[in-house]
Amino acid sequence: MPAGGYTSKRRVMERYKIIGFISSGTYGRVYKAQGKNGIVGEFAIKKFKPDKEGEPQYTGLSQSAIREMALCTELSHLNVVSTREIILEDKCIFIVFEYAEHDLLQIIHHHTTPQRHCIPAPTIRSILWQLLNGLLYLHRNWVMHRDLKPANIMVTSAGSVKIGDLGLARLFFKPLQSLYMGDKVVVTIWYRAPELLLGSRHYTPAIDMWAVGCIFAELLSLRPIFKGEEAKMDAKKQVPFQRNQMLKIAEVLGVPNVKQWPLLSSMPEYSQLSTLSAGGNSRVHRPIGLENWYNGVLKQNGYPPVEKSPTGEKKAAENPGPEGLDLLKALLTYDPQQRITAEQALQHKYFTTGEKPSMNCFEGITTKYPSRRVSQEDNDIRTGSLPGTKRSGLPDDSLRPTKRLKEG
Amino acid sequence: MSASYWSSTQRRYWTFTKPELAELRRKLDEQERGLITQYPLPERRLLNIYFNLQIAKIGRRLQSPVVRQQCLATAQVYVRRFYTKVEIRRTNPYLVLATALYLACKVEEQPQHIRHVLGEACHVWPDFNLSDISKIGECEFTLISEMNSQLIIHHPYRSLADLQNSFPLAQDESALAWSVINDSFLTDLPLLHPPHIIAVTAMFLAVVLKPSQSTLQVNAAGVSGALQALSNPQAAATPAASSRMRKFVDWLADSSVDMEAVVDCTQELISLYELWETYNEKVCKEQIARFMKARGLDK
Repeated sequence: MPAGGYTSKRRVMERYKIIGFISSGTYGRVYKAQGKNGIVGEFAIKKFKPDKEGEPQYTGLSQSAIREMALCTELSHLNVVSTREIILEDKCIFIVFEYAEHDLLQIIHHHTTPQRHCIPAPTIRSILWQLLNGLLYLHRNWVMHRDLKPANIMVTSAGSVKIGDLGLARLFFKPLQSLYMGDKVVVTIWYRAPELLLGSRHYTPAIDMWAVGCIFAELLSLRPIFKGEEAKMDAKKQVPFQRNQMLKIAEVLGVPNVKQWPLLSSMPEYSQLSTLSAGGNSRVHRPIGLENWYNGVLKQNGYPPVEKSPTGEKKAAENPGPEGLDLLKALLTYDPQQRITAEQALQHKYFTTGEKPSMNCFEGITTKYPSRRVSQEDNDIRTGSLPGTKRSGLPDDSLRPTKRLKEG
Repeated sequence: MSASYWSSTQRRYWTFTKPELAELRRKLDEQERGLITQYPLPERRLLNIYFNLQIAKIGRRLQSPVVRQQCLATAQVYVRRFYTKVEIRRTNPYLVLATALYLACKVEEQPQHIRHVLGEACHVWPDFNLSDISKIGECEFTLISEMNSQLIIHHPYRSLADLQNSFPLAQDESALAWSVINDSFLTDLPLLHPPHIIAVTAMFLAVVLKPSQSTLQVNAAGVSGALQALSNPQAAATPAASSRMRKFVDWLADSSVDMEAVVDCTQELISLYELWETYNEKVCKEQIARFMKARGLDK
């Protein structure tokens, strides 16, 4: 290489002032920062840690870091978190993102404390509209997110929804990671599409649409709709059939069958399905059905009944209405080939009936959502890489699964 | 992994006009005048042939899973981009090649372990006495940094498949077009033209050169008539042109492909095939070894 080795032409500390620490994950840590020396605005800087802590050494960048870097420089859309720059310095990668004050996890949480109060229907509609616009852009560009969940959907203080955490969806298991994650880690599967649970090796954009359905349901009910428990990998590192998660889905939607989903029988874990209803699980035999679930949630969370004006038109958009149910059904369709696409979803009557959805999801509401928590304990971006520290954001966050599935 | 070509960083930052590319290189040469006169090197395209063969050698050995042509192509584009910004005599080209392939495999979702790449590099190049993966890791930082993290490459292979929906090629023609695309990476074409232009050119050459011919290094005369037909579709109507050729030219005329660009690509490729006759691997190897040893870049 050029004699003298690699030296960065740009230095993080010369360009940004670190305000504090936001969160950490398997990849590294995220800091809130303010631009300096002519750079204006607030940013979230994601630092990818080198594989080995302690004495940093060049060991080759991880697949996920490469993926995120490559995608972030390439993509640009209003509803996808934008990247200001990428700095390679001191054997670390720093991706500088635009800053977003909120995320959907935090917004949902705000509506459950101190007591449960529903997210206004127009807010949900705007969030979904923007999310689907971002997703359509990704899918048109052949990008599958693969890890959509409330914590990965950012919302700016101006009510703009941004898909975040690109390229991290497929994370390769590295033995070293278990050392970092000293304490027990729960792996989220709540947003995982049925075809993946049944062992499909083929990813299609439809897996993201399933996740959107789960997020839609969660925005309405303020709880994950399919809150299953992860089955751990066995000693041979084989990924087991996620029986409990599949059960949670079947309790609402029923056990999938070949009539609804013709290719079902070719799924690797197909034979497991028949065992779901064994043991006399009556909820699987008599699933509540999405419609009952939906109507129950709307009632329980206090959405006002749909009022019809004398002309038969819906009066106010205070209730997601039958259109919302119809879209939810289309998103949570078992057969990935029949599941609605992002493009079709944007043309769904849930969006086309009534006013055009706002690009500001906070429009017309007075709720003030709390700012993102930023911790001062560790705001030295150069050295801050102590293992095991969790996100400082939410008090109940440790209960929330954050880790992703390893690539099969 | 890929995104749309039209909004891509490849189109916005890494596709140059010929004068732009010449100016980039002239500037780089000016800074390094002394080095360049002290250590002469073969013509750029001949070096590219050499580099390509070297990358392919490692690629063949990294066969679990099989490193596809796409990875080799991406690695070659990285090398080409990198050397528009850094003078080759300031680098260890073998380290750059190995690193480019290592990075390309990751970007193309066929990751290879860094130790594996290092091991194969040491095996293929006995002079490559780097025993430490950190060299490749560091070189990776340099590569990514010089390319501004713009790593996604749009290749003509996919365009070739798409274009065949409207103009299907026979199997042998298709194979020939594919290998013409492989050859395009030896030239500046990936820095000059969008992938679909290169794909159209490959189709054109495949149709003209008729797969019956045993070698691609054809005489230029055979192509010149067809070239004329390209720039002047009426000429294709003459009885001299084959009916297959006429069909192709008609199809091209109906599409809105930039003919001038296709002609330019064709000429670049023909000129490559002529130059190829003078390729001498030994000379490339020795001249590279000379500056590496003299400047201590091999350590």
